[in-house]
Amino acid sequence: MRGITKRFPGVLANDRVDFEASVGEVHALLGENGAGKSTLSNILIGLYRPDEGEIRLHGEHVDFHSPSDAIDAGIGMVHQHFRLVPPFTVAENIILGEHREEARRFVIQPRAIERHVTGLGERYGLSVDPRARVWQLSVGEQQRVEILKALYREARILILDEPTAVLTPQESEALFVTLRTMAAEGRTVIFISHKLHEVKAVADRVTVLRGGRTIATLKTADASSRELAALMVGRQVDLARRIERAAPPGVDPALELDGLSVRGDRGEQAVKEASLSVRSGEIVGVAGVAGNGQRELAEAITGMRPPSRGTLRIAGRKLRAGDPRSAIAAGVAHVPEDRLGTGVAPSLSITENSVLKSYRGRAMSRGPLLRWRAIRDVAADLIERYGVHTSGPHQRVRDLSGGNLQKLVLGRELSSLASPSVSQSPPRRGRRRLWPASTLSSGPKVLIAASPTRGLDVGAIETVHAYLRQAAAEGVGVLLISEDLDEILALADRLVVIYEGELTGAFDPATATVEEIGLAMAGGDSA
Amino acid sequence: MIKIERRLGQPRWLNVAVPIGSIAFSFLVMAAVLGITGHDPIHTYRRLFDAAFISSPAWTATLMTGTPLLFTGLAAAVAFRMQLFNIGAEGQLYLGAVCATGIAIWLGPHHPTALTILAMCVCGAAGASLWALIPGALKAFARTNEIITTLMLNYVAGLLLTYLIFDSASPWRDVSTIQTRSFPQSVALQPSQFWPTLGPLDVVVPFGFLLAIGVGIALYVLFRATRFGFEMNVIGDSQRAARYSGMRTRRKILAVMAISGGIAGLGGASQVGDFSHVLDASPQGLQGAAFGYTGIVVAALARYNPISVCLVAVLIGGLQNAGLYLQGPDFPTGLVGVLQGIILFCTLGGELLIRYRVRFGRRARAPVEAAPAAEPVP
Amino acid sequence: MNVNHTLVISVLTQAVAYGTPILFAALGELLAERSGVLNLGVEGMMLVGAVMGFWAMQRAPGPTALVLLLAVLTAAFAGLVISAIHAFLVISLRASQIVSGLALTIFAGGLGLSSYLGNDLGLADLPPKHQFSEIDVFGLKDVPVIGPVFLHQSALVYASWAMVAVVAFYLLRTRFGLNVRAVGESPGAADAMGISVVRYRYAHVLAGGALAGVGGACFSLSITPGWTDGDSLVGGAGWIAIALVIFSFWRPELCIIGAYLFGGLAGGLPSALQAHGYKIKPEFLNALPYVMTVVVLVLVSTALARRRLGAPAALGVAYVREER
Repeated sequence: MRGITKRFPGVLANDRVDFEASVGEVHALLGENGAGKSTLSNILIGLYRPDEGEIRLHGEHVDFHSPSDAIDAGIGMVHQHFRLVPPFTVAENIILGEHREEARRFVIQPRAIERHVTGLGERYGLSVDPRARVWQLSVGEQQRVEILKALYREARILILDEPTAVLTPQESEALFVTLRTMAAEGRTVIFISHKLHEVKAVADRVTVLRGGRTIATLKTADASSRELAALMVGRQVDLARRIERAAPPGVDPALELDGLSVRGDRGEQAVKEASLSVRSGEIVGVAGVAGNGQRELAEAITGMRPPSRGTLRIAGRKLRAGDPRSAIAAGVAHVPEDRLGTGVAPSLSITENSVLKSYRGRAMSRGPLLRWRAIRDVAADLIERYGVHTSGPHQRVRDLSGGNLQKLVLGRELSSLASPSVSQSPPRRGRRRLWPASTLSSGPKVLIAASPTRGLDVGAIETVHAYLRQAAAEGVGVLLISEDLDEILALADRLVVIYEGELTGAFDPATATVEEIGLAMAGGDSA
Repeated sequence: MIKIERRLGQPRWLNVAVPIGSIAFSFLVMAAVLGITGHDPIHTYRRLFDAAFISSPAWTATLMTGTPLLFTGLAAAVAFRMQLFNIGAEGQLYLGAVCATGIAIWLGPHHPTALTILAMCVCGAAGASLWALIPGALKAFARTNEIITTLMLNYVAGLLLTYLIFDSASPWRDVSTIQTRSFPQSVALQPSQFWPTLGPLDVVVPFGFLLAIGVGIALYVLFRATRFGFEMNVIGDSQRAARYSGMRTRRKILAVMAISGGIAGLGGASQVGDFSHVLDASPQGLQGAAFGYTGIVVAALARYNPISVCLVAVLIGGLQNAGLYLQGPDFPTGLVGVLQGIILFCTLGGELLIRYRVRFGRRARAPVEAAPAAEPVP
Repeated sequence: MNVNHTLVISVLTQAVAYGTPILFAALGELLAERSGVLNLGVEGMMLVGAVMGFWAMQRAPGPTALVLLLAVLTAAFAGLVISAIHAFLVISLRASQIVSGLALTIFAGGLGLSSYLGNDLGLADLPPKHQFSEIDVFGLKDVPVIGPVFLHQSALVYASWAMVAVVAFYLLRTRFGLNVRAVGESPGAADAMGISVVRYRYAHVLAGGALAGVGGACFSLSITPGWTDGDSLVGGAGWIAIALVIFSFWRPELCIIGAYLFGGLAGGLPSALQAHGYKIKPEFLNALPYVMTVVVLVLVSTALARRRLGAPAALGVAYVREER
């Protein structure tokens, strides 16, 4: 690929990128989030069209108008967010869009295809039941389906976009073996990652991208981790993974779960009898592979999904279950996984979104009327204090970048409830010791942060981490739910693992090894 | 190649330019349709405008058609704004007319006009609200698709109307003379019960029109200045975000259905009080006019803004009125409906221009000029 | 007395006849929805199909069978053309599928294009020159129950059965059907596998329009041959068809049951009761299918909410590849 340039509205995602991989090698594409890796690979497989530049395949100029051109040219891709059809069977997903061999028949021949898929799975150590429905599979199995899809099409070039993000460390090891097998057969494997140790472990050569440009291409064996990190970030970096915290956490429990069970969308037990306590000022990390009940857990605590059993306490008081308003009133702040779809109303302005939760308070409204002046002040304050880059408070939040959007959400969650002009009504002494929906808390007591840095670029990740630490320092109990083990290891005071809805094992991040935690994430016995 | 990119900022002038452009474009398209089917477009349009807007009597007639459209347009706007697709304004209007006529007949002619009007408005709005709450409750509690339920109930309301006048001995039916017994019609309102008109100029302005303008202004305030309106905006944009921020979505669905139905019901009351003075169940009456469906056109063209609805209702009312007036061998029936449909299509297409930037040419030449603050990397 | 002359049989016979237009339209809507596009304009497309089918039948010379075939094809083409507007707006221009569908109904409906065409072509209240008549295919019309109900119907009824089989087989057993379902469930995945989301959606919206047009022609060529101004000719069958797709959990083979149930309520019961001299206020009978639609919809939607079955995941959502 030579001189590839791709622009999105407001963003130059690839700026004259050069990239070259040879037959039979595992070639890593290394770069931080937002460096342009995904864009480049999406161009290579024909999903995006480059604005400038050319692609050559085995020496010949090619021009992909659509993914099917790229597939026909022998390129396969495993996307970071899988491109699978959940209600379909594995076999159906694999032959989808295929137009050669037995899949070409007008009438589908399921038996022949299933045999073929089983054969491929055995050859590459990617076993998966071809008749299972994809939504029933674990994330790791789904990834195998994605790889099988490419192998079924006899892809000569296989691109994997952040494949290990959804795997346990042990699963990652197994994947690397598969990748090496494929390279040994003469296929080209392009491995996209921002994790140095993985690149070192699996790749023959590595190309580093930064800010949408090619920085360097070198042999992995010749480069040290420190060197690669410097190339990737653009400055010298400290590879120490933990930052010691300023103040020790408090002792008062901020959040207590007791035997919490939650049902998922399909009625299955997504969270089973979870018990956990987060003290104020403490960051507790929940590690686990995606789809093990993290979403349901977060939604149950924040009231968005009623639990089927168990109790929740905030600062010692029982919370009315399944009612977001009570949770908000009790001081539960929530940075949701799906920030654009859940955390904000995307077509409304920054101003409106900055009071999404506090508009009911007396500072923001008088009787049924809103106090727009006060609301505008809150928004301006939020934009300034949290450094949200915007064309103005009227901008629709849909048009904010991921990082700025997350700063807005985080800022709102951490500050808007604590807005000093809110008149603090003392908690009513009620008949029932529940948080009444009408009381406004003086500030968040608990912050549920679900994958708070997913998809953000490095600068934004650092900012978000800083705010999480700051929140803890100010006495908020933080529950950090993340699939990124490194993130949890860097931030958390304590770590639990969620596997198939059960909270297992408590680890001290300072002493626990990645192997131990990884084993627990895969459902093995925890230490 | 045509490239479509999302706009980072939304120029305000587009909000005005797009609807106007849509209307102009639709007239062009319709001219082509007319030409193809062998009519002279210029001549047809000329007659249309003459009949709608040129003389005082034309304006009077236009306001007469515009009034119910204003009500149904507002009814649709308030619901559609919250992504609640109440297309039952048609049936809710019938119910409003039925209840308003009912109370007027029950009260009799010997009360002050103001009291009669108040009673008709309250009953009409309440009856229609309750009718609208059927699909509202089904939506809120059983998640039933409101588009289909509201529409099905329109047919039921129409049949109810027919039943009351043509097929029963209901209190609505006039059985006082031999003539009305063989040609059924409803009990007529007495002149003391007629709603007043304001006619300082040559144009007669019906009371209902002013009432509707008042409702429009009230809705504008509701949307802009109140917590309720704020919640509606959030729910309309993202149900999940609304739940996330602790809003009571179900209550809002019920409230908005009731408001929407109530406004349509006021339209029904105004039809009886202002214009027909009887409950007209004939195929040419309420059921033939399709005010409820046309209200959707009005609301969509006004982009669900209550103030714009007031303007658009008059415009569409003019076209509708002219279409009815001119109906005849040399003026194709259905033309106005076709025109309305095309206007709506153009408005929908025009939305694209508001949300997206459309570029022509094989490749974008200049780099996209980003809105100053949309830099992704902080 | 012969069992075939009882009230029940007459209701059932009528149910099949009246259910056929609903069945055609529902199959069409099902195809569109399975590709991820909701088209609320069914009623309008049916009305235009009805008027154009009737027109072709009146104007075309030739033997009855040929003329009727031509009329049905014309109706299908008319429905297809109308649905193309919706397809363009929602697939290419990404307009709201709900509002566009409503616009389509207003545009094409009883006060719009269908009325314009019917009046302009001078079709109002013309006596039909040809019409579909019942065919006794296997000479079995006298077999008790099954004979009159299923084997002595018009060619349109038999065609609708064939269509159910074709659609079911197509969606569930063929490669193209698999692709359509993928486009409706997860357009991103389909796109990544080289399936053109745009092309599949256009094709199925257009096919849906054609089937709705045929459904409309069932009314003007077979059930109540002729054309009348306004929307009474189709009378809400298009909307019932949309509801029917939900009732049948987006499965073609289940459509047939619902179609005959509503066919029975809409046409069968009233006309049969009338013929047998029962005196029930027609308004109540006529309201029955609409009320039943609401009732069944409530039952089904509570069940759906519990199980989340059936609806294609991407239904109603425009697909945009290059957005981020």
